[in-house]
Amino acid sequence: MAPSGDATFHAVQRRLAALLPANNWLASARPLELASLGAQDAPRLIAAAVLEGGVLRSHRITGAPVPRFAAFLDGTQSSRAVAHADEVPIVHGVAACVVRRRVARRMHTWRSPLVERRIYAPLAMLSPPWRNALASADIPVVDTLAARTLEFPHPFALQDAAVHAVQEDREALERELAEAWCQAGHGEGEGELLVDGSISGSDAVAMAPGVVGVIKSHRTLYAEGDALRTVLRLGRGERSSVFRITSSKRTPVASWYLRLREPAGHAPLWGLVRVEVADLPSATPAELASRADEVSRWVLAEALPLAVPDARWDTMVYGIRDCEEFLRAIQ
Amino acid sequence: MTEPVWGRVVATERKPNTAHEFHFWTSVDSPIGIGTIVRVDAETPVSGQLPRVFGVVVEGFSYTDLQTPIHDVLGHDGTPGGASLAATQRTEIRLYTAHVLRQIPEEPLQPVPMGAVVLASDADVAVALRMDAYLQPGAHTGIPVGLYRAGVMEAPIYLDADFLLGPEAAHLNITGVSGLATKTSAVEWLLASIFAHFPQQKGSVAAVCFNVKGPDLLFLDHAGEIGDADRAMYARLGVAPEPFQNVQYFAPYTAKGFTLNTLRSNDQLSHNLTPLTWGLNEVMQFAEVLLNRDDVDAKADALIDFLQERVINREFRDPVLSSPHRVRSFGELEAFFRDLLRGLEERGGEGWRTHHVATIRKVRNRLSNISTRCAGLVTDEGTVSDLPFGSFQDRAVYVVDVASVEEDAQDLIFARVVSKLREHLERRDLGVSHVVVFVDELNKYAPGDGPDTYVRKMLLDISERGRYLGLVLFSAQQFRSQVHRRVVGNSGTSLFGRMDMDELATPGYAVLSAATRTKLATLEKGQLMVRHPHFAQPVFVRFPRPAVLRGRDGAERYPQAGEITLDVAVMRSLRKLDPAVSLDWVKRVIEGHEEADVLRARNATVQARPERVQSHFESQFRRIVPAEPAARPVAVPIKSLPGDDPYGF
Repeated sequence: MAPSGDATFHAVQRRLAALLPANNWLASARPLELASLGAQDAPRLIAAAVLEGGVLRSHRITGAPVPRFAAFLDGTQSSRAVAHADEVPIVHGVAACVVRRRVARRMHTWRSPLVERRIYAPLAMLSPPWRNALASADIPVVDTLAARTLEFPHPFALQDAAVHAVQEDREALERELAEAWCQAGHGEGEGELLVDGSISGSDAVAMAPGVVGVIKSHRTLYAEGDALRTVLRLGRGERSSVFRITSSKRTPVASWYLRLREPAGHAPLWGLVRVEVADLPSATPAELASRADEVSRWVLAEALPLAVPDARWDTMVYGIRDCEEFLRAIQ
Repeated sequence: MTEPVWGRVVATERKPNTAHEFHFWTSVDSPIGIGTIVRVDAETPVSGQLPRVFGVVVEGFSYTDLQTPIHDVLGHDGTPGGASLAATQRTEIRLYTAHVLRQIPEEPLQPVPMGAVVLASDADVAVALRMDAYLQPGAHTGIPVGLYRAGVMEAPIYLDADFLLGPEAAHLNITGVSGLATKTSAVEWLLASIFAHFPQQKGSVAAVCFNVKGPDLLFLDHAGEIGDADRAMYARLGVAPEPFQNVQYFAPYTAKGFTLNTLRSNDQLSHNLTPLTWGLNEVMQFAEVLLNRDDVDAKADALIDFLQERVINREFRDPVLSSPHRVRSFGELEAFFRDLLRGLEERGGEGWRTHHVATIRKVRNRLSNISTRCAGLVTDEGTVSDLPFGSFQDRAVYVVDVASVEEDAQDLIFARVVSKLREHLERRDLGVSHVVVFVDELNKYAPGDGPDTYVRKMLLDISERGRYLGLVLFSAQQFRSQVHRRVVGNSGTSLFGRMDMDELATPGYAVLSAATRTKLATLEKGQLMVRHPHFAQPVFVRFPRPAVLRGRDGAERYPQAGEITLDVAVMRSLRKLDPAVSLDWVKRVIEGHEEADVLRARNATVQARPERVQSHFESQFRRIVPAEPAARPVAVPIKSLPGDDPYGF
């Protein structure tokens, strides 16, 4: 149910305070994302099937970078505890997503951004007055334990559950907007879309030839042994061989690692991104290599301007930072 | 048609909006800049009315999301040319600060609300600058000063005649560097605008301009070249692009006395050029102008007062004098002093009527010296040719050319003309009800420091009390900070052209923002910043080039007459009164006469303007008796012998 009134943090807190006057309300809660340490965030290595040749190796990208992307898609999320109901966090979460289109080198918003504000709480652990109050607060409420179980009712575990629920909502918004972009007829050659993160969550997006996913975080690395060393030793403007990423819950995509910036003097993952494109089963290795080189040139073209002052500027392209700044501005 | 929204008001805790200042951002391609007048349409009604705020942009900021410049250097590998290779331009902001001109409703006075920012339209500009109060049909007292421009918007800016020419406020001061600030042009344009728009019901108006340098104001009656853009501005501002219709020029003679001391001495232009000569009567009242403290102590001052009250212009008798004296000219004054000192010497007296002989000698020396110091302006014989006090004409310009005159004479001319204007305006018999007096180089005449001269005191008096009389001072200078504060402070309207940065660094300009000061330092010709009592903040305007011949062009087209002989000078002077006067006739009449007598006769004729010019001129000369050999007198012995001297030979 969409809220009829103001669904911002303080508005919701005011409404709940009117319903439950005796409780202590948090005045300025920190975003829970800063403290969340989810189990799936643990680093891991996964071997992937190499599509370009038999062994994963490095390839120098030849030719000048080509600014090809017409638009950038990114989502943001923010979760803050409104109150603690008998030690159970009641979390106000905001998930948002936008496509920013590039016209004459300047960024403009495509259609309308998607923004959802909800309350996230383990309803089963709440007292009836709290459940009643949340039901009357004129804001959608998400039960964070509806699809998951907790080993222990640790306060951090409850917070993580809320954060992950917000994350799922944010990913859903990103999928929705990316699919809308694809349905709008932005095919290959008409305006490629750079998505921040994986594109494998949606069949329509993962199979769209004009959509490219760029992954900045590497908690999961799709290489082991020599392949891993090859990836970590990529130089600036070099990519790895193309490999396929498969998952039972996701659509297979073709992927490769690409070093955007000179790594000397930095950590091995500095300036390293993973690129995802549609996995076309009929493509020959040569076609895959050609496609990877082409898309890599597009991504390398986005290395400028720097996405500073964002701390992830080594891997973040400026268009994605623009999306995040835009979403920050409208929330 | 909805107006394009060019910006939005923003406010942060660090940079909040107030009731007098607000901030807004615009797209990078907006036509808004320093000096632009904008309107803010609030989105939340106050007391049932959506507030509207008008402001003028005084400061602008531009920045991107870069934290430090070094990031940009790194991002382009230290190669500035690489900037164009970046696929995306950084998000960039144009953030402006505006000062509030007016809020509607005016109560309650609140901080400027958030809202859309649009360019002010014609009507908005009138409201923003409170011009709507004096642009009402039937009570229109607006005097166009120029066009305000922003993007495609263009709006006339009007000054209120009641606040420009009195009685509510008055006076105008214009500041700017020489050559680029268009001070003279601005005054010429504004006079044309006043003549075109000063309401009939407010009375009549004339202008007296002192030409203090070069040929600046000497061709106001000749058309100059103006372009189509200027013509369009004239049309928009409702002023005919034509020279002044009624201009009279005045200039003293050169020290030699043959020709008038002006660059406008070309024979073709003599029809409206009149000599400016004064005698003893005209000068004595302003002796203080020419005599400094060293010259005139209390004792000398007492003697001068005595002369003015008891001797000048009346028959004066005294036992010391050999005969009665009637002093009407410097020549007669000298004769009086000569007689007085001779009498004192004969009697061996040291004093006369409480005045010591040394004081008498000193005053004689100083007063007699005036006609020498101001030769060409002050005549020994007392000939007077003056401005037409009492018969000033509506919409006429009277230009007094003092550019080539000695400094003392300039001061005297300035002091006397302005004092006479004041006297006549007080008596309401000048001929017009308002007079604009234009004085350039105010630094010189009313400096902020230095001696308290007569001219400065007079300027102070005009600036403080002139508005009640209709005596309006239009003044100009290069450095406003060096002019007496009360003179510029009493100017209701101030114009600023291109300014010198050193001048802008003085405390008087601290009220202006850094951007406004920068704009002032880079103003183009034809642009002015205007401060007027109705305007809450200064505004920038453009004005058209004056439709008169520029001084420099006029001097080239009408070269100054060369040095001429006495007979030609007399012929030219008399021909203005009687075209039948010929050079041969003049030569014949003046033959054998002293140069001084010829000039006296010419001056007397010009002053009298008789019907029969030639006979009047001839009558000025004493008949010359032919020389006859003198009979040798019979030698007489020093001592004759007595007839009965028995020892004589």
